[in-house]
Order: sequence, then C-alpha cells, then structure tokens
Amino acid sequence: MRASNIGTIAKREYLARLRSKGFWISTIALPILMAAWSILPSLMVAKTKAGQKLVIVDQTGQVANRLTETLTRWSEPSDQQLGEPPVNFEIEILRPSENAAAQQEQLDQWVLDGDYDAWVWIDEDLLAKDLVEYHAESVANFITQEVLESAVSRVVRQIRLEEAGYDAEVVAQLSRSVELETIRLSEEGSRAEGGLGGFTIAFALFMILYMTTLIYGQQVMHGVLEEKSSRVVEVVLAAVQPVELMAGKLVGICLAGLTQLGIWFATAVALTAPGFLAIFAFMPEGASLPTLSPALIVHFFAFFLLGYFFYATFYAMIGSAFNNTQEAQQMASIGVVFVVMPWIFLLPVINSPDSTMAVVTSLIPVFTPFLMLLRIAVKTPPAWQIALGYVLTIALCAGMIWLCARVYRVGILMYGKKPTVKEIWRWVRYA
Amino acid sequence: MIPTLELQSVSKSYGDFVAVDQISLIVRPGTIFGLLGPNGAGKTTTLRMIMDIIAPDSGLVLFQGRDRSAKDLAHIGYLPEERGLYRKMTVSDHLLFLAELHNMSRREAMPVIETWLEKVELAGWAKKRVEELSKGMQQKIQLLGTVLHQPELLILDEPFSGLDPVNQILFKDLLDEYRGQGKTVIFSTHIMEQAEKLCDHICLISHGKAILDGELAHIKRSFGGNSYRLVADGDIERLEKLPGVEQIIPLDGGAKLLLGDGTSGAEVLANLTGFMTVHEFHSEEPDLEDIFIKAVSDARV
Repeated sequence: MRASNIGTIAKREYLARLRSKGFWISTIALPILMAAWSILPSLMVAKTKAGQKLVIVDQTGQVANRLTETLTRWSEPSDQQLGEPPVNFEIEILRPSENAAAQQEQLDQWVLDGDYDAWVWIDEDLLAKDLVEYHAESVANFITQEVLESAVSRVVRQIRLEEAGYDAEVVAQLSRSVELETIRLSEEGSRAEGGLGGFTIAFALFMILYMTTLIYGQQVMHGVLEEKSSRVVEVVLAAVQPVELMAGKLVGICLAGLTQLGIWFATAVALTAPGFLAIFAFMPEGASLPTLSPALIVHFFAFFLLGYFFYATFYAMIGSAFNNTQEAQQMASIGVVFVVMPWIFLLPVINSPDSTMAVVTSLIPVFTPFLMLLRIAVKTPPAWQIALGYVLTIALCAGMIWLCARVYRVGILMYGKKPTVKEIWRWVRYA
Repeated sequence: MIPTLELQSVSKSYGDFVAVDQISLIVRPGTIFGLLGPNGAGKTTTLRMIMDIIAPDSGLVLFQGRDRSAKDLAHIGYLPEERGLYRKMTVSDHLLFLAELHNMSRREAMPVIETWLEKVELAGWAKKRVEELSKGMQQKIQLLGTVLHQPELLILDEPFSGLDPVNQILFKDLLDEYRGQGKTVIFSTHIMEQAEKLCDHICLISHGKAILDGELAHIKRSFGGNSYRLVADGDIERLEKLPGVEQIIPLDGGAKLLLGDGTSGAEVLANLTGFMTVHEFHSEEPDLEDIFIKAVSDARV
C-alpha cells in the first residue's frame, strides 16, 4: 500500500463531499432539528402556562377553598416552598345545585363554548373514595392534570390529618415537599447538573453518533456503487491497487464526517461557553446548562471512528458486491439492523448504566460505540470495561477491514448477475 | 534489447474455471502488440494481471526486465474495457486526479493537461463537469487520462469498442505516434481487421491459452499459400469431404478454403471440377480471421 495513492483518493473523496450541497444542508439542518426537538416540548408547556380556567363544584364544602388556595399559591412565583409554578390557574367555585345531572350538563356546555378549560367535580364521598373527576375538551394536558392531582392529594391529606386531630399549622409544616438536587459524580470531580441535562447530553451524543455512522457508512456504499456503475473504478485501478482505493475512500469520507462533527461540536462548545450564555437574560441565576467534558468529546470521536470504520467497511463490501442500490438494499438493511439495535437498549442503559445488561450489551463490539458512549455520558464505567470495549471493537474493525478488502478487490470488477452470499464467500477465499 | 514487458507462464483460475492458462509473452519496445481472441478468451484477465489489479495464481510479470512492482504502474498507461469517469468532477479536476495517481505533481500536470485538451479541441471544456460532455468527448478525456504521465507502455483493452469515427482516427494516430517515439503499446481486440491494420506483433488467445504468437508479417507468410478463394456453382457442402481441405468459410458465390500442409491448390481444384462449375480459384493472402480459425482448430487437435 502506498500512502500517496491513498492520500490522492482520500482528497478527491473529501472534496467531492464538501463541495456537495447535501453536506452543508445536513450540517445546518441537523442542529436545527435537534434544537426544535428539544425546545418543542417546553414550548408546549409554555402554552399551558398561559392559564387554565377551572370551575370547581365541591359537594363536600371542605376541599374547594383550600384547593384554590393551594393552586393559586402555586401560581405565585415568589412561593419558595413550591418553586416554579407549572400552570397558572384561574379558579371559580360553584355551589353544588340540587340537580347534579343538570348542573354537570351545564358545565359541559360552558367548557364546549370555551368559557372554561375544564371543570372539576368533587364528590361528597371524596374523603373516603379518593376520586375527583376532571372534565375537559383536551384530556392530554398531562401537566395540568398532574399539578391538579397533587394539589388535591395534598389538600385531602391535610384535611384527613386535621380530622384525625392534628393541628393545621403542624400539618402544613410536616407535609412540606422536598426537592431533589441531582449531582453527577465522575473522576473529574462532582458537579451539579440537572438529571435532565445529563440525559439530554447522553441522548444527543447517541443520536449524533447513530446518524453520522449510518449516513457516512451508507455514503461509502453509494460511492462504491457509483464507481462501479459509472465504470470509473478500473480507470482508477490503472494506478492504484484495489485495497488502496478502498482505504482512500474510507479515509476521505471519514474526514468529511469528522469535519461535520467538528463544526457541530465547535458550535456547541461556543454556545455553551459561560461568557456566551450571560448574554441571555432569561438564563436564571445559578442554572447549570449541561456542558460537554473534554474526555467525553474524546470518547465520542474515538467511538465515531470505530463505529464508522465498522459500518463503512460493511457497506463498502456490500457496495462492491452488487451492481446497484436496489440489489444492495437487502444486505444493507442488515447493517441498519445493527445500528438500530442499540435503540432498544437506550433507555435501560441510561436508567441503570451499571446493570448486567448494560455492561454486557455495551461490550458487544457492534454496539460498543453507541452503548459504551451512553454509559460514559451517564455514569463513568470502570476503566477496564471501557478498555475492553475499545479492544474488542478495534479487533472487530480490523477483521471487518480484512474481510471487506477480500470481497472488494473481486467485487468491484464483477458486473452482471447479482451474486449470492455463497459466491461472495468464495471471493473471500480467492488468493 | 530488454523487453518492455514479459509474462512467464502466467495463470489464473476462478474455482474450476481456468481464465488464463500458462501464458508467456514478450513485448519489445517500439512495437504495437495485439492481444487477440474472442470475448471470454482471457484477454482482459491477462491485462488486469499485468496491471496488478488481479494477482496471478502462478507465473511472473516482468516490466523492463524486473519483477513488476506497484511503482511501475506510474510508467504504464491503462485504458480498461469498462471505462468511465466521475460525473460530478470538472474535466480539469478529473485529469489532475488521474495525473496525481500517476505520481505527477499539480505543477507538472497542469501544463500537460492544457496542452492535451487543446490538442483534442476540448480546451474550452476544462471547467465543465464531466456529465455535461458528450459521449465522444468523454472518450477523449478517458484517453487523455491514460497518456498524461507519458507512460513507457500503453495498455488498451478493446480501445475501439464504442468509439465514434473521429475518435477512432484520434486513437490510431496516437498509437502510431507512440510507436514513433520508441514506446510500446499493447491492445486487445476481438476484431481481427483492426489488429491487422495496426499491429506489429500478435498473440492469439483462445480459452485462456496462447495458441499463436509472433510477428504479424511472419505469421502471414507462414500461413500464406494455403488459403484459396473459390467462386463456383454447385454443392458447397461436398467441399467438406475433399481431402486436404481443413476449413471452409462460405462466402458470397463460393467459399474460402484453407488447405492443410502438403496439399496443393492444383489437387483440390482437380477434385472440385468433378462436382462444381468453377468460375474462379486463386491463392489469397490469408487474413487474420482465417489464421485465427485455423489456429484454434489446430490447437484442438
């Protein structure tokens, strides 16, 4: 193998990618998509915050006032005990009428007319039955429901305690909520970080790794197929050996991938830099935005390289063996299965990164890049596990590169009939 | 004189199929060497082994007297039968890429590229993408790609297939120019007529074996005198039964007859007149087609 040839091929591949519109569109589009994806839910929450108009009918005569008090107190940002108000409530209390059915019909009409967002029915036997009815046009508004539920529980609990003879003041004092402050421990030292922040980072890195590995792996396949179908491959082989052509292509497309990742990470680091964030007035004092540790970035790039080389050689092999995308699709989908499989383990691994399942799956070489990265992002695993993951994956990649080179050198010169797996295996064994 | 290229009993098999069987060749500098044979005879496999694209199972490939190494590829120009270009690249980028693969620097290559583009009247197309070029123009670019680095040896696999008439002349002129400079050309073809016009030396391949190898003039002389043109009326089928007639190629109004060694035209003519009305019967210089057919049938015996 001659490095100069690999370099020339790699340069061509790299420039061909960077000069394509697709590269720049995806460079810009992916962060926007991911931002939209993470911002959208909070925008939806913000919409509910705009206010909920409730009507409460309380047949017990005990609950409604205290519930209103709790809910509106919650709505006051200054309340230290309850923290940020999740929903702003505007509440009206209605006296229960003699004819409950007629009243409920009336309430339904009001909600349908848009006068109120929902009505709440507190039955006489609430204190015994633990049930409150919530009627609204949209019942998917889970935040409102959750807040309401916890407020009702709180009030009912207080009433029951008072009925059992406890002093109202003491009850209020004793039933104060506790907030959970999440602190992530790692070798580089502990730092306060929202549980959600850690999850976001782990998930985002997983997503990016998954997408880039898949996209760039498949680009290798399409590149090989294109060279085959345009018949340019043998023209290039006039000066380079098949294995040099393959290596150059893998390296060139890899560099294009690294360039794209580099752009994203540089942007992310710049955006999360403390100085930059101060510009945004809405960032509350002391709120910690998830930050990327240098070690995590290094692991990410290492796993990208390993994941890429595994999948790219797999796809180069498929591209070389078949004549066009249609023929290659069936085998290519096997590759997709390998990439999609880690999704199944995503949540279990994030939730318990130390579980046997997490350890085992993250040490299966095909999944290591994705799942080990996830574990490192959530909770740094023991060093030996990380090292073993690397060793196994590197061994797998080396084997894959060897296998691919054997198939590739024969496949790229084969035209015509779609080869069977048996035939492809025979190529591997040719001298 | 050291041969430009030498093959020493080179073989290649794919499973049970023997693509190339113990082929040995010597290609001397300053010659145009024709590798002839029908499709599937093993020409392309032979050329690919010369180009180090396929490794031979056994045998040696020598370039200028030494074991051919990967470095030698920079002194060889190769135009494969299956040839194409990267459609999205510009003409000059593409040519530069191919020149760089042959160890030329950008600075060396750019003036050469310009000169060649002017020579083939494509100077205005340098910045255009390959996909904007006509097929004929792309063929020119493919040819340029093989000669930019001024190779000592030019290997062309079926160079004339699919060429338009203008490019056929361009290719032929280039071959003559190369021979004139003392450089060497090997080309393969299944069209004997082309080989006859261009080659100094030929090698006939059939079923992976070299069945005839030598200077074209010499081969023709040795086969001469045994080929006869017959124009006659009568039962042509009966010709087959005549003693000494090895091959009958039916032609308009008669046939071409290839006679075996030691059979004279007069004997055959004497036998012929018994069942045919002969209008014309004369000795003819054999063309390569005939020689090939005879060589193949000889090789089978």
